Amino acid sequence: MEQAADITEESQLIERLQRGDPAAYRAAVRAYTPAMLAVARFYLDRDSAEDVVQDSWVAVVGAIKKFERRSGLKTWLHRIVANRAKNQLRHSQREISTDFGDALEPALAARFARNGRWATPPPLTTIASAEALMENGALSDCLDKHLADLPEKQRSALMLYEAHRHKSDDVCNILDVSASNLRVLLHRARQRIFLMIETFQETGEC
Amino acid sequence: MLMCRDLAIVASDYIDGNLGAVDNLSVRMHLLMCRHCRSFIGNLRSSIQLMRGHSDNVLDDRLARRLDREIDKALQSKSKGGPDKD
Ligand SMILES: [Zn+2]
Repeated sequence: MEQAADITEESQLIERLQRGDPAAYRAAVRAYTPAMLAVARFYLDRDSAEDVVQDSWVAVVGAIKKFERRSGLKTWLHRIVANRAKNQLRHSQREISTDFGDALEPALAARFARNGRWATPPPLTTIASAEALMENGALSDCLDKHLADLPEKQRSALMLYEAHRHKSDDVCNILDVSASNLRVLLHRARQRIFLMIETFQETGEC
Repeated sequence: MLMCRDLAIVASDYIDGNLGAVDNLSVRMHLLMCRHCRSFIGNLRSSIQLMRGHSDNVLDDRLARRLDREIDKALQSKSKGGPDKD
């Protein structure tokens, strides 16, 4: 981890944004927008989510001078997007369906016998190490496809917590879910990814 | 007694260190005895590692250009000394 380098890089970026440097905005848009979309998509359909992200960037141009760095830039951006997405949601009177449901994915639940033991256990040959998996381009494509297919809520939770490494308190705040609901979203999403990798390793197919 | 299915339910909490001491111990005891659950936990861990290494930082060009345009507009109206709105 190059945490120190990341922090220096981030503070240089913030200074350039505060000076209104267009090239800095181009870089920031490319670095931060995918996760901002993941936040907005938790609440909104794709088109509305893109609109909210756009409004958020425009708001950032006006607000970045006052950014006090009490949080990281990423967390700050995510809060801006989340607030706007929530407002938009209230405006449209759309209900977000809160299907937190069972802790087990049906496809995994089906693999246990009545007595609670594995009926179809995972193969004993363990999944290759994460490093080896990451070097597999086909698997990476497959992961992208499955991530895209995840229910939005699971996907947003997974991306913010795992890929973007937000703390769970931050994710709960940004997504407006309780800690226990976040646990369920994460666990369900992880099981799906687990099942996907298992199938991929057994069959070589996505 | 903790069954395999129960373990699968709390697997994420176990991996993330969110279980209380008693539950944590039951999971450990179960894992000592059950190779299926050992491979389940091992594989779930690898899946999580994979997710952590996976980036979703691909922004489609259409949206990127649209954002660039809107930001440029905002920057220009700001530099013209337009009123700061927030
Ligand atoms: Zn077991």
